[in-house]
Amino acid sequence: MPEPVLSARGITVRFGGLLAVDSVVLDVHAGELLGIIGPNGAGKTTFFHTLSGVLAPTAGRVVVAGDDLTGRGPHAFAAHGVARTFQTPRVFKEMPALDNVRFGLEFAGRTRRHAHDAFDKAETILEFLGLADAAGVPAGSLTPARQRLLEIGMALGTRPRVLLLDEVAAGLTHAELDATAQLIRGVRDELGLAVVWIEHAVRVLMNYVERVVVLHQGAKIADGDPRAVAKDPAVVEAYLGAEVVV
Amino acid sequence: MTRRHALIALLVGGVALAALPWLLSDFLLALALSCVMYAGLAVSWSMFCGPTNYLSLATAAFFGLGAYVTAWAAGALPYGLAVLAGGLVAAGFAALVGAAVLHLRGAYFAVITFGLGELVRHAITYYEKAYEGTVGRIIAAAPESTTVYWMVLFVSLAAVATAMIVRTSRLGLALRGIGSDEERAQTLGVNARGAKVLAFALSAFFAGALGAAMAVRWTYIDPPTVFNPFIGFQTVLIAMVGGAQTLLGPIVSALVFSLLTEFLRLQFPYLFLVILGLLLIVLVLYLPGGIASLFVRRRWRRGNA
Repeated sequence: MPEPVLSARGITVRFGGLLAVDSVVLDVHAGELLGIIGPNGAGKTTFFHTLSGVLAPTAGRVVVAGDDLTGRGPHAFAAHGVARTFQTPRVFKEMPALDNVRFGLEFAGRTRRHAHDAFDKAETILEFLGLADAAGVPAGSLTPARQRLLEIGMALGTRPRVLLLDEVAAGLTHAELDATAQLIRGVRDELGLAVVWIEHAVRVLMNYVERVVVLHQGAKIADGDPRAVAKDPAVVEAYLGAEVVV
Repeated sequence: MTRRHALIALLVGGVALAALPWLLSDFLLALALSCVMYAGLAVSWSMFCGPTNYLSLATAAFFGLGAYVTAWAAGALPYGLAVLAGGLVAAGFAALVGAAVLHLRGAYFAVITFGLGELVRHAITYYEKAYEGTVGRIIAAAPESTTVYWMVLFVSLAAVATAMIVRTSRLGLALRGIGSDEERAQTLGVNARGAKVLAFALSAFFAGALGAAMAVRWTYIDPPTVFNPFIGFQTVLIAMVGGAQTLLGPIVSALVFSLLTEFLRLQFPYLFLVILGLLLIVLVLYLPGGIASLFVRRRWRRGNA
């Protein structure tokens, strides 16, 4: 098996007495489309923070494409090809949308090339996301849904190896959500990225990802094919229950 | 306006300003010197604080350090080299303290940078008293006042040129990203600490060089004169009123403010600080983006109409 692009080796995060993430082990391979689900407070976002260098884990190692980056800052993770979005869109509000995408290209993405060189231009990335008309508009004046898309564009600008998406579907209508999911799949197919997608809307995620990981109270309780995981008694009990039956 | 046009404008403006000593009386030349100095200080302050939204009150510290480098080097170094050394010492000091305090933000950063100025002032006062047995220093071999003017003009023009280059460089983009959302900028690959320390040191270089260039004008310097917090406040005021996000704002504002200060001081010697203070309050309340924001906003609307 080839080396994973992103490898979490026993990640633990403790906030005082609270165990937010509990020895999570996870390998993500190139081209994978992986979902992470879990009830509120399961530690999904905290886990993402450690994978992107925003937060250093209390214990465990984070290895990106063979390099141990544990304890390094977010810029080191970005430089190694880990890109992420945030739960509430964090775009550079005053900057035009185009500059928001250009930002990643100028920094983390500077020394890498995309598999597809069309994505080496900020304009192309905006077009791909359906934001071409917004290129000159300050990002802060876009609708929240479009800011969310723009955030994906900012992440793509860094020419990542692995894309971490934190609840990109939150607050979207059903049609928008379907389009977003198609888009994420498209990005993966087109660029051969690994995509790790956290979502609270479980059913969407189950429909689109090829592998799913379930976190519960900080620990990983399931990992595998979405259909198999959905039937896993531990998962049903911990979280899905009625939601899957209905 | 492209970078080339801007550099040509800078060159033409610089040549015109360099001719002033032949055109103006001594009094007016002193006024011009003050305008040029504050333009340089405000532009260098905005270089870092404009895009990052940091509020640094350390300008007086850098300025004073530069001035003391000149005083200490008097006789040993030619004027030009003393100015360069003043800038380098201030930049080195800024890099050192920047690495330690640039993770702070908002009021904390403002307070600590103000404290730094006081710290340096008292440290130098103590050193001079304890080891050199002196309170102030007389600078005997001072160059001509026109030479001082040209030197200050040169440093200020260099500050403007540097600010232009920084604005369009990757460093400038990184600083704008940091100002907008520092953590986001980091997750996109910006080494925020490195960028901030570099820009802070760069901005301190010009403040230090201006202090070193100005020191010779006073012939007698002591810590209260060169570490005068008024210099720092005035710089911040000028930059903020002009619009620290822009390049032209602080320059125009320095001109207006220096003339206004001089006018008020002559007309209302007792009231001028009161008037200046009221003016600041009104501007901060009703025009937080500076006067330049009026033009920027209007242009923006036009572009979208």
